[in-house]
Amino acid sequence: MSNKTKYKVGSIYFAIFGLIVLAAGVVELLLGVTGKSLEWSIMEISGEFLIWRGLILFCSGAFYLSSIKNFSDIHKQARTVMASVMIWLIAGMKIFSMILESIPGGEEGGWFNSAKGFLATYSPPYIPSLLLFPFSFVVIFFIKTLEVSEEKINMSENTHRQLKVGEKYE
Amino acid sequence: MKLTVDERWALIDKISKQTIKYGKYQYTLKDAIEEITVKPLTGIPIAIAVLYSFWSFFGAFAGFFTDGFLVKLFDNLWLPWIQKVFPNEGGWIYYIFVGDPAADNCFEAFGMLTSGLFVALGVVLPAIIAFYLFLILLEDSGYLPRLAVLTDTVLHKIGLHGFAVVPMILSLGCNVPAVVATRTLETKRQRFMMSTLLAIFIPCGAQLGIMLEVIPKYVGFVFLYLLVGFFIFGFILNKILPGKSPEILLDVPPYQKPSARNVGIKLWTRVKGFFTVAIPFVLLGVVLVNILYLSGVLDWMANLFEPVLTGWFGVPKETVGPLIAAFLRKDLAVAQLSVIEMSVYQLVTSVILVSLYFPCIATFVMLMKEGKEAGWKGVCQYLFGGILTLMVVVFLWGGLIHLIWIILGVA
Repeated sequence: MSNKTKYKVGSIYFAIFGLIVLAAGVVELLLGVTGKSLEWSIMEISGEFLIWRGLILFCSGAFYLSSIKNFSDIHKQARTVMASVMIWLIAGMKIFSMILESIPGGEEGGWFNSAKGFLATYSPPYIPSLLLFPFSFVVIFFIKTLEVSEEKINMSENTHRQLKVGEKYE
Repeated sequence: MKLTVDERWALIDKISKQTIKYGKYQYTLKDAIEEITVKPLTGIPIAIAVLYSFWSFFGAFAGFFTDGFLVKLFDNLWLPWIQKVFPNEGGWIYYIFVGDPAADNCFEAFGMLTSGLFVALGVVLPAIIAFYLFLILLEDSGYLPRLAVLTDTVLHKIGLHGFAVVPMILSLGCNVPAVVATRTLETKRQRFMMSTLLAIFIPCGAQLGIMLEVIPKYVGFVFLYLLVGFFIFGFILNKILPGKSPEILLDVPPYQKPSARNVGIKLWTRVKGFFTVAIPFVLLGVVLVNILYLSGVLDWMANLFEPVLTGWFGVPKETVGPLIAAFLRKDLAVAQLSVIEMSVYQLVTSVILVSLYFPCIATFVMLMKEGKEAGWKGVCQYLFGGILTLMVVVFLWGGLIHLIWIILGVA
């Protein structure tokens, strides 16, 4: 697949993904402001710092959407990367707190959690950022694509320079 | 062979043409990311995400150790054991060191070896480690200078500049190194402003850790209220204090991966500093408050200050004890507040008062030391200027929160 096609596919993917992230952010913000919560299938929108999480998701979605036009531009890709980083920060911290919550036994229990309690910590429902988390990793494919093209440019420049210098000293 | 000046320049040109290649700088993704993290439109949302993760990490890490293991260790093992083996139950030495013999948790026992040790090691230490670990990662990755660039415009409104964010964030860990960090500011005026504002308005990591235990739902509100106060009184100080605030140029380093060794060394140095500076004061604070309580001084002071505490601030007169303890350690004072019978709004007001009230003794000593850099005149300026600002802030900002509760009909 040529880079042009890759970027075209990327721009369509992040347009759709950006809209979903933006919508999730708006819902979290609205629920956070009204003080309500929502549980739907494996998704749960509740808990502490809901407004902040909503605001971050909203901005992340806006970053994705603002980067789809002329997606091959490095500045736009940087925006896509940072939009994904923002999702990674929320989801990463959620995973970190889930791991730490799963180990101790709780107020009335023993020192360590039971196997059942341990596994129950990781069961659904999940917050929206956690569900969006795997889909945001697509950005790594584009980082790699960009790295390869950067390397190609550098290599061609170096070869060019070596040849010129070599010619003089022959 | 001797060359003329022109011949030498011609030779230089010839060599440079053969050896130097002029090209276009290859702009990388890293450069683009560095750029968007300092532009306000994109940088502020990113900063919010970073600070959110900072807070989440702080809560999860400290909660894991404190609620997961240390509460159990202190309440189920340490407290019953020390209550059993310590001699002379009911005597005044027992009361000072172990506290209430009927207490079933370390928060309520209030002895030096029970509440004192629990607050210092069980609550504050995990919070401090979590705070410094994340802060060091931000410093070493190169994000902190970018945050300084982002906050530059806002901080200019109160006569400071972007790098003032460093002592601000540091003081969220401990006010003592934060006061030292104000040395990075250019003028005496800026240093005085920053150290006074942070000593009054910014709660330290230890206090934040305890606040998360005592009023978890209201920490955000308390924090916001203090932050608004920081900027309002900063703005006023900027208008009334003589002197200028010069412009500076910030050097922003590239992003880099933090080295595990550097992170480890920095973390150890800072945590060691906490052990030597803070822990003795926590233990001393418990002893002092217990002595004042046993000798009846606390009751006398509570009656003396009752009109101000209940009338102006709307808190019970018993808060006088924690306010005295706050001079030694603010985290200890918040822990003491949690066992006084009062409404949640009174508790929030009391926590705000503890934050605004006199800085802890370690910070106070450091403020005097900073003032001394400019001689005894500087000490007097820091002492009287600081206390005057503090008195005004406590009465106005502390009274305002009571007024807010009255308007909302909850006071």
